[in-house]
Amino acid sequence: MTLQPSRHEGRLGTMVAVSLMVHLTMFVILTRANFFPGLKYPEAPVYYVDVVNLPVASPRAGSPAAAPGPAAPAPPPRTAPREMTLPATSPAKTKPTSTPAKAGPQKPTPETAREFEERLAQLERETEARHEAAAIEELKKRVAAGGRAPAGMPGATGKEAGSDYGSYIQSRLRDAFKTTIASQSKNPEVVVHLTIDRNGKVVRARLERSSGDKVFEDSVMRAIAKAEQNFLPPPRGGGFDQGFIFKPQGVGKK
Amino acid sequence: MKKIFLVMALLIFPAAVFAASQGYLEVTAPGTRLLQLAIAPPVALAGPENSAFSKDIVDALRFDMTLAGPFNVTTSPVTEGTSGIRPGDFDFTPWKAAGADLLIKTGYSQANGNVTLECRLYDVVRSQELAAKRYSGSAKELRRMAHTFSDEIMRVTTGEKGPFTGKIAFVSTRTGNKEIYLMDYDGYNVQRVTHNGSINLNPDFSPSGRELIYTSYKKGNPDLYRRELFTGTEARISARRGINITGAWAPDGNRIALAMSKDGTSQIYVISKDGKELARLTHSNAIDVSPAWSPDGSRLAFVSDRLGKPQVFIMNADGSNVHRLTTSGAYNVSPRWSPKGDRIAYCRQMGNGFQIFTINQDGSGDTQLTTDGSNEHPRWSPDGRYITFSSRRGGADALYVMRADGTGQAMISRGKGNDSHPVWSPRW
Repeated sequence: MTLQPSRHEGRLGTMVAVSLMVHLTMFVILTRANFFPGLKYPEAPVYYVDVVNLPVASPRAGSPAAAPGPAAPAPPPRTAPREMTLPATSPAKTKPTSTPAKAGPQKPTPETAREFEERLAQLERETEARHEAAAIEELKKRVAAGGRAPAGMPGATGKEAGSDYGSYIQSRLRDAFKTTIASQSKNPEVVVHLTIDRNGKVVRARLERSSGDKVFEDSVMRAIAKAEQNFLPPPRGGGFDQGFIFKPQGVGKK
Repeated sequence: MKKIFLVMALLIFPAAVFAASQGYLEVTAPGTRLLQLAIAPPVALAGPENSAFSKDIVDALRFDMTLAGPFNVTTSPVTEGTSGIRPGDFDFTPWKAAGADLLIKTGYSQANGNVTLECRLYDVVRSQELAAKRYSGSAKELRRMAHTFSDEIMRVTTGEKGPFTGKIAFVSTRTGNKEIYLMDYDGYNVQRVTHNGSINLNPDFSPSGRELIYTSYKKGNPDLYRRELFTGTEARISARRGINITGAWAPDGNRIALAMSKDGTSQIYVISKDGKELARLTHSNAIDVSPAWSPDGSRLAFVSDRLGKPQVFIMNADGSNVHRLTTSGAYNVSPRWSPKGDRIAYCRQMGNGFQIFTINQDGSGDTQLTTDGSNEHPRWSPDGRYITFSSRRGGADALYVMRADGTGQAMISRGKGNDSHPVWSPRW
């Protein structure tokens, strides 16, 4: 008696491939939809720290013990520190100061000062180039995120409405909705997008998703009209856009 | 390949919905509240005040809106003096303070024996007019004008016109015999239809509402008659040997299903509106009666005792695919299909009487609607939101109306004698 491979076994490989593709697609979709926020590593802002010690403008050679007599403390160099904070847009043209260090035992030569200036300018140019590249990279990330992430989440642009005013409007709507809610169906749910101008007036209430229950939808619109009378203007003198889901208490998410 | 795309679409759709719902804030509230509807006292727009007019207008509106369902009706919660009814003629503030969501304002005037009724519906919260209508007619039409505005209120507030201008045909013994009568749905304006001094039963309206069929014994045999309501012309359309009973007009208006026993036991047949036999639908040795059309005319519910006790069955309009609908209770009769097509009302014997139930067409959702007394002959309103029925809860048989969920039961019979077999007309 011999066992013949069935046709079903021949299709096993195809089914495994399809299953793999489906699972991969699901993983990508859920990841893109931020379904597993905990799995997404937070992106820390990039800071650049220059660990290279910048050269001192007027190094003093020798040992303090070798200084003859009670020499006065050497004054700090007057030009080099100030120039170190400035961006180097062109090679430094400053010449070595002709003022000798009062207490310096050795006078810097013109060649040493020139080398110092060139090294300093080179370092500043490199630092500036790194900062610019980092800033451009950060802008690219924000553009790619498209501003669709919730406020406070990685990928948010910073233009999302803050939670405070949204929660305030939500609270006012909830208070009004308690006094107007009515329905003729079991689990009505409508989505309304509100646009509030800088004066706190509702300039647009757009019904994004209807429930088919006119009694319920009218009660939502009455709640908006009632709550609007007490709206404070949005912060920072701007407008406010937000979608709200209205439904009776206890109705689960679809 | 198509299957793969289908699987991917099924996977992508929930994710898209999830993503789309992000960023929305929920606003919830306890959902048991009714709309607060206030009815202001009618005012005389011209001429002297007439308290009888005011009473009729308010009574009709209050009865309609109370039965309607979404409203908690209050009358005269605010004293306004002699303010007008048009926008700008009165102040919304006291109505808002009284907690009203909606406000009905009415005014009437009389001239040359005619009455003009002006009705306006306001959204108090938004200080906005929702509907305004003016009706004119004789004084005895005043209640009908108010019912017409009630239909309009239902259209504006729920999106579907009300059935309150419909008529109810019924059988009454108020003159000693079982005659057919017609009245407003709230029991007013009763008109007698038959005057034959015999037994008349089971009236049913044509889809146009202009004709009525009923069974009458006036020639000895229970024959089926058709009557034009506006001309009074009557025709005997089925006088076959045996019974010709429980006629039901098909939604197309051209056919009538009824029970006849010309071939032995009572079976379901279809005849034309002129009486020509078209088809025999059932072929059992049992008793089959009470056919009821589905709103699209594709199926019929009927009662059969082919399994021993009367139960409700469903079959296709050609008599095929017969299957049992009711599985609970030992005695289920008098089915009637909802105009919306989703539910079937029937009555079940319980104890010494009957109770009204509704059930889904697949046999699920069997729900008892009545408990008091004995209740029979449920018939739907044309919009499927209400049911009229007869009840013996007060001693004699009387007619009642209720919402489709069994709430809001109210008696509408106002005469002496026993009233039964009600049927709600289409909108006129």
